[in-house]
Amino acid sequence: MNKHTVTFYPDNKKVEVESATTILSAAISAHIHLNSACGGDGVCGRCKVIVKSGTVHSEPSGKVTSEERKRGVYLACQALVESDIEVEIPLESRLDMGSLSKEELESRLRNVYTKAEDISEAKPSLGEGLFTHAPLVVKFCLELPKPNFDDKISDLERVYRAIEEKIGERPIQTGLSNIRHLGELLRASDWKITVAVSQRGPVAEILSIQPGDACGRNYGLAFDIGTTTISGQLVDLDKKEILGTKAAYNRQASFGSDVISRIIYSKAQDGLEKLQNAVVDVINEMAEEFSEEHGIDLNDVTVVNVAGNTTMIHLLLRVDPTYIRQEPYVPTANYFPHFKAAEAGIKINPHGLLFCVSGVASYVGGDITAGVVACGVHESKELSLLIDIGTNGEIALGSREWIISCAASAGPAFEGSGMSCGLRATRGAIQEVRIEPKSLEVKYATLGDDKPRGICGSGYIDLVCELLKHGIMDKSGKLNRDIKNRRLREGKADYEFVVAFEEESGIDGDIVVTDSDLDNLKRAKAAVYSGIAILVRHMGTGLDQIKRIFIAGGFGTSLDIESAVSIGLIPDLPREKYIFVGNSSLAGSRQALLSCQASAICDKVAADITYFELSTDPEYMDEYMAALFFPHTDAKRFPSVKYV
Amino acid sequence: MAEELKYVEKWNSKINELKLGAAKADGGTRGKVFKVGNQASLPYLFKEGDIPFAPIIAAEVYDVPEDDWPQALTEDLKDVFRHPLDWAVKMVEEAGADLVCLKLQGIHPDLGGKSAKDAQGLAVALLKKLNTPMVVLGCGQADTDNEVLPLVSEATKGERLLFGDVVQENYKTLTAACIADGHNIIAESPIDVNIAKQLNILVSDLGMPQDRIIINPTIGALGYGIEYAYSIMERARNAALSGDRMLAMPFICFAGQEAWSAKEARVIEAEAPQWGNARQRGIMWEVVTAMAMLHAGADILTMRHPEAIRIVKAAIADLMRH
Repeated sequence: MNKHTVTFYPDNKKVEVESATTILSAAISAHIHLNSACGGDGVCGRCKVIVKSGTVHSEPSGKVTSEERKRGVYLACQALVESDIEVEIPLESRLDMGSLSKEELESRLRNVYTKAEDISEAKPSLGEGLFTHAPLVVKFCLELPKPNFDDKISDLERVYRAIEEKIGERPIQTGLSNIRHLGELLRASDWKITVAVSQRGPVAEILSIQPGDACGRNYGLAFDIGTTTISGQLVDLDKKEILGTKAAYNRQASFGSDVISRIIYSKAQDGLEKLQNAVVDVINEMAEEFSEEHGIDLNDVTVVNVAGNTTMIHLLLRVDPTYIRQEPYVPTANYFPHFKAAEAGIKINPHGLLFCVSGVASYVGGDITAGVVACGVHESKELSLLIDIGTNGEIALGSREWIISCAASAGPAFEGSGMSCGLRATRGAIQEVRIEPKSLEVKYATLGDDKPRGICGSGYIDLVCELLKHGIMDKSGKLNRDIKNRRLREGKADYEFVVAFEEESGIDGDIVVTDSDLDNLKRAKAAVYSGIAILVRHMGTGLDQIKRIFIAGGFGTSLDIESAVSIGLIPDLPREKYIFVGNSSLAGSRQALLSCQASAICDKVAADITYFELSTDPEYMDEYMAALFFPHTDAKRFPSVKYV
Repeated sequence: MAEELKYVEKWNSKINELKLGAAKADGGTRGKVFKVGNQASLPYLFKEGDIPFAPIIAAEVYDVPEDDWPQALTEDLKDVFRHPLDWAVKMVEEAGADLVCLKLQGIHPDLGGKSAKDAQGLAVALLKKLNTPMVVLGCGQADTDNEVLPLVSEATKGERLLFGDVVQENYKTLTAACIADGHNIIAESPIDVNIAKQLNILVSDLGMPQDRIIINPTIGALGYGIEYAYSIMERARNAALSGDRMLAMPFICFAGQEAWSAKEARVIEAEAPQWGNARQRGIMWEVVTAMAMLHAGADILTMRHPEAIRIVKAAIADLMRH
C-alpha cells in the first residue's frame, strides 16, 4: 500500500496514512477532531474541509455545492486520500475539544447540590442510617494488637477482626495482592496500617492496605457521562468537600452525535475500542488535571462513580451495545456490579473501584436514576416531574410511592445538532433572542459574549417563541412568506430567517433558521411534550397534580421557562413549579459517591422505576401528532399562551 | 323499531351553521341558498339533538372532460360531457343534485392550461345559468390554483360560494381571497383529526370566520379505507359536540371521486363477468360509499353519476323523515 502525508492547517500537523484513507480518519489520527454528527456517513455535511493541494477521490455529494467544490471543499468523511495532500480545516468544521469555558461550565453545573453535604459531621463509617456520611470507599487507620501466644490468629484474620470492630460483623473479602506481602507490611509498619474499605450490599471489601496512618487522604471522582458532554468533580471523601469541577466534550462525538450512530459505529473495526478509549481518555485527562491542580496523588483517589445513559455506560465498560437498538431494546445490563477502575482503563489507585449508577432500561439510564435521586423525586410525598432534555428526552414522573419513566426520541435539535446553524452550548452560541416587532431586528445574547457562531438549545427555544409572537412563523412552523423583510428570504435549500448576518457573526456566512430547522424543533418539542402527556395520562393523574417540575439539560446558562411553555415544549403550569436544575445527573452521581446509602438508594430507585415504552403505546402517535403544532393542537392545554 | 333507544346522549355543543349562497338580500344573486350543519347530535339520532338541515349533494362538473373516467360513468354523461353548462343543468334538473361542484381541471398546465379568464368566465356563466350556489375546486397544482382561484373568487364576489381545497402546506392565498370576497372555504386534511384541527386554527388565524370553514377529512371509497374515514369523522364529531370549536365545522366528502377510482367501479364487464353489469356496479359503489359517509356525518357530498345521485337523494329524504 502507498503511504501519503496529510498536512492539516492551520494546526500544521502532519500524519502519514495509507492510500484511500478518509481525511476524517487521518484527522483523528492527527488528534484533530472534526464535526461529524452522522458518524462519517456523509449525510450531515458538518465535516467540510478545503483541500489546498494534492488529489483526493470523492463521490459528488449534495452537501457540497458546485461553487464549494471549485474552491476545493470536500466532506472529510467521504474524501479518500490519493496523494500527499494539504488540508485546511475551517473553524465551523472543527469540533472544539478543549475544556468548556467557565460560563458553559456554570450552565452545566447549575444548581447542582447534594444532600450528602448537608448531613452530619459524623466520622466516616459504613452502614447505619439514611444518608449518613459514608462514602463508597472509607479509609480506616487500624492499630492492631501484636500477636502473642494467647492471641495468635493469622495476620489477615487480625485485620478482619479490627475492621469488624469498626463496622460490625459482616462478610469481608480482599484480593490476593493485598495478602501476599501482608505479613511483612504489618511488621514493618509496627502494626499500624490504613485500610481502604468499600461496600456495596452486605459485603465489605479491603481494597488496599497502606502502612501507617494515611487517613485524611481519600478522594473520589464523580462523573456524568453525557452523549455530548462529560462533567466531573473531585471530591474529598472525608471532608465531603468538592475540590474542583470540570467539563469537557465527549470525544466520541467524532464517531456520531447520538447514541444510535455510536452503537452503529461500535460494529466497525475496532469501533468499540475507539469509542471506549475516547471516553476513558477524557476521564483520565480530567483526573490528571485535578491531581495537578490540587496536589493530590492519584493513588489516593480510591473510587470513581459514574452516571450516564445506558449506551454511554456500555461504551465506557466496552460492553457490546448492539442489542440496545434492536427490538425489544434490551441492554446487556442495567445494574453493573462495581469493578476495578483499572479494568476499564481508568487511572486512579490500581485497587480503586468504578461504580456505575444503575439504569432503568435501554433508553432510561443511570443519569436519570441519579437525577431522580438528586432532585428527591423518590422521597417526595407529592408528585414531581423530572424532564431531562438531551438527544433523548427522558421523563420521570412520580413520588415516594411510585415512579414511571419514558424516553421520547426528541432528536438532538435542542443540542444544536442536525440544524443548519446549530451549536452546542459553547462559546459564541446564541442563547437568548428577542425580535423587534416592526423592524424584525434581532437582539441576541451569546455564551461568553463572543461573536455568534451558531444557535444553542435555549436560543432556539427563544427564537421559536419570538417568531410565533410576531407572526413571522405560523402555528404549524412555516415561515411567513408574505412578510417583506431583508431577514426573510429563499435560502439555498429552504426558506429562511436570518438571525445574524455574516458581518456580525463569527463564522463564514449568515446565521439562519430554516423551515426544516423549525420542523425539527417542532418534532423535538412534540416528542417531549407528548411523552409527558402520555405518562400523566397513563397514571390516571392530571398535570395539575404535579407539584414540582425539574428541568435538566444543557441548553445554555439559562432556560426561559416562559419561552419553553410558549412553544409547547413543557406544560402550561404555574411557573413557580418549575426548577431549572442543570446537570442533575452529576449531582446524583456525587451524592452516591459520598454516601453508600445514597448509592444503594440509586440501585433501589432504578429497580423501582417502571419503564414505559412509548413506541408500542397506541396513544403515543396520536398525542405526538397533536403536539406537532405551536403550542399544541388543543389550545386549551396552553391557556396562558397567546401569540399576537 | 320494536325496541326504542333507551340511552339518550345529550351534547353540550353544536356544529357550526354554514350558509352556502347569498340571496339578493345578502348581497348576492342566488335564488336558492343552503344551510348545512348546526346539528346537536351525531348523524340521524334525532332523539338526542336537533338536526335542522338535510345533507346536500353537489354534482361534479368539469371544465374539460376527464379522460380517465370509466365508461360506466361517461355513458350517462356523454351528451353533456364537453359542455359544462349543459352538464350542470342536467345534474341539477334531471338528477336532482342540489348544486354543482365545478372542478377547474383545465387550468392545470399539463391538462390544457386554460387561462384564468376562461375559468372566471365559466364560473360566472354557471352562476347565471343556475340559481344555486356552487362549489369551486382548483386543479390541485398549488401554484396554478393560487394564481387562478383568487381571480375566480373575485369574479364571483359576494355569492358566498365554497372554494377549495386549502391544505396545511398551502392555505394562505386562497383563504385570504375567500375572506375578502365573502366565500366559504374547504380545509383538507389527510385522514387525520389533529391536522384537520390544526388547519382550521391556521385558517381562522388568518381571519376567516369559523362558520365559513368546512372540513374535507379525506375519505376512502368502499373497500379502500372507508372505515378510517368513518372513525376520523366520528372522533372529530365527538370532540366538536363536546365543545371543541376548532372541529365544529361541517364535513364535505368527495364520495364520487373516491368511488369511481375503485377498481370495482371501473372494471368493464368483459374483464370481470362474475361481477355483473358494470354500470350498475359503479353506481352502487358510489351509492354505498356516499351512504356510509352520510352516516359518518357528511353535510355535503360531491357525486358523479346522475343515477347514484337520484338514489342517494331519495335515501336522504328517507333518513330525514323521522
